[in-house]
Amino acid sequence: MAQKEYDFKCLNCGREYRALYDIKNVTERTCPQCRSNSVRRMPEKKGAAKT
Amino acid sequence: MTNSEVESVSGFVGNFNVTIRKKARYVDPDECTACAECANICPVAVPDEYQQGFSSRKAIYMPFPQAVPSAYILDMENCLGNNPIACGKCADVCEKKCINYDDQDELINIEAGVIIVATGMDVYDPTEYDEYGYTRFDNVITSMEFERLICAGGPTEGHFIRPSDRKIPKSIGFIQCVGSRSRNGRGNPYCSNICCMNTVKDTLLLCDHYPGVEARVFYMDMRAFGKGFEDLYMRSREEGVKYVRGIPGDVSENDENKNLVLTVENTTTGRREIHELEMLVLSQGVIPRQDGDQIKRLLTLSTTSDGFIMESHPKLKPVDAPTKGVYIAGCVESPKDVKDSVTQASAAAARASILLNAGKTRVEAITSHVETDKCNYCGICADVCPYNAILAPDRKAKRAPTIIQAACAGCGACAAECAQDAIIMRHFRDEQIMAQIEAILEVEPHKHLLTFACNWCSYAGGDNAGTARLQYPTTSRLIRTMCSGRVDEKFVLHAFRLGAPMVLVSGCHFADCHYINAVHWTQKRMDRLWNKLDKLKIRPDRLRLEWISAAEGQKFAKVMRELENSVRSVTMEEMEYTMKIMAEEENRILEKKLKAAAKKV
Ligand SMILES: [Zn+2]
Repeated sequence: MAQKEYDFKCLNCGREYRALYDIKNVTERTCPQCRSNSVRRMPEKKGAAKT
Repeated sequence: MTNSEVESVSGFVGNFNVTIRKKARYVDPDECTACAECANICPVAVPDEYQQGFSSRKAIYMPFPQAVPSAYILDMENCLGNNPIACGKCADVCEKKCINYDDQDELINIEAGVIIVATGMDVYDPTEYDEYGYTRFDNVITSMEFERLICAGGPTEGHFIRPSDRKIPKSIGFIQCVGSRSRNGRGNPYCSNICCMNTVKDTLLLCDHYPGVEARVFYMDMRAFGKGFEDLYMRSREEGVKYVRGIPGDVSENDENKNLVLTVENTTTGRREIHELEMLVLSQGVIPRQDGDQIKRLLTLSTTSDGFIMESHPKLKPVDAPTKGVYIAGCVESPKDVKDSVTQASAAAARASILLNAGKTRVEAITSHVETDKCNYCGICADVCPYNAILAPDRKAKRAPTIIQAACAGCGACAAECAQDAIIMRHFRDEQIMAQIEAILEVEPHKHLLTFACNWCSYAGGDNAGTARLQYPTTSRLIRTMCSGRVDEKFVLHAFRLGAPMVLVSGCHFADCHYINAVHWTQKRMDRLWNKLDKLKIRPDRLRLEWISAAEGQKFAKVMRELENSVRSVTMEEMEYTMKIMAEEENRILEKKLKAAAKKV
């Protein structure tokens, strides 16, 4: 599994969260708070991602 | 061709080339007379898969009585060995000498105009529902096992006996929805469609074979929706079958008589009930074929969230796969009964014969083509094409990619990803979309919400909102693309450069994507764009993404209303800054392209 934990930010309500995500196998994202799909995967900070 | 597997598929509608591995059967089916002498002498006995393991078969065997061809097959994994021959008894007794231990798999190539996928389904394994005791109690069986036990051709020749003492049970319970309609992490959330009526049929069989038998069905809802189904259900009730509305929470075994004790809340009476039954049948659900990934990959098929193959359009093209020239029938598409499978298979055959008889296919004029002089042979277009419709370029030979027009569906993902603008989408050219953006933002750009909407879902969602008379701001402006995958980065940047306060990209939900997985590229591109805006110190939240299906008129109107407020929150200074930065960015990109072109010349 190429899943790693990444930071996500909802551009609609501002909610920030971490979730497992596989960059190669893109899946639909929905903000857990406002259900918007404008959820940005935040750029990785060096050494921040954990498997 | 039986006992065969598809190894590879290349080509496109009308010109598929399929390689099939015809597996060695070690028995010549043309010569075999199915006399059974070989099986009679074979010393190996293994559980019979067809009889659900209730009886055994030999290493040389007939898979089931009606098997086609009517010939024996050798299971080499269980055979006592042919290298060197350690047993060889079957070959000795075969008068026609049709057993060949040296038989080899054969690769066969066939040309096909169309392909029909009818690979069926698997059944759900109820082991994880440990409270029903399927693996712990002898007298708990599945509905598939019930079929074998009640069948005249089954291991007990139709004598329905319980495994613990081989006696005919006097009371039998059925638990419905095992592995179906479950949202607690076990099983599947969908309804398996066939189990209710299968149980009704089973209870009638029991009543017919064993008058006086006590049958009880534990259910959530009985779904008798098809032609004649309600009559059958009522007949079952009239025969005395007791239907209890409630799914047992626990099953235990009476140590002495091996009867099963069920605890259930009867939701009709609101009372907790205890039922002691001699046998229990778990009405197991249906799942997608577990070995179906190979076919999915070979034919670039996509699946819905439940894992069954997605049709091209649920109403207008229910047996067409998104890949042209590929049709689907039966449970590979969704759980269904025999009648529906036959109906769908007939439709698929008819659809296929239309294409075969015509001998040609009409391609909608929205496909892509390559401007070879602009191509830098990077090959991204071939990588992103969901249909494998692009033959990759060859950098060394300076050969540009070739687009197979018959296979291209016109999603535009290739054109959006091509950094050289070397791919042109007919009727959705860059210039045409840019002209729409410019027209929308020509007057009072700061008041308008520019929205890219895909043809199939989001644009239709807008239509749905309109026909439902849902109110949404009149300042919304839609640009239709076939797929959100067509929305090029430069369209978004150009809109900001012309003063758009907000841009919305909308498309189909991933499970509904009409172009297999082109929406994946939309998502990836949006991530790139958000990072880019951030880097240029432009608020990334001015670019939004929403997946809106054709049925989600409400969501469409809600998103439009919410974004109207966001549009108002963008200040004039912010927009002026954005326009200045974007003008610089567009110039920088243009210069880079000119330099690359000059270098190529
Ligand atoms: Zn949110």
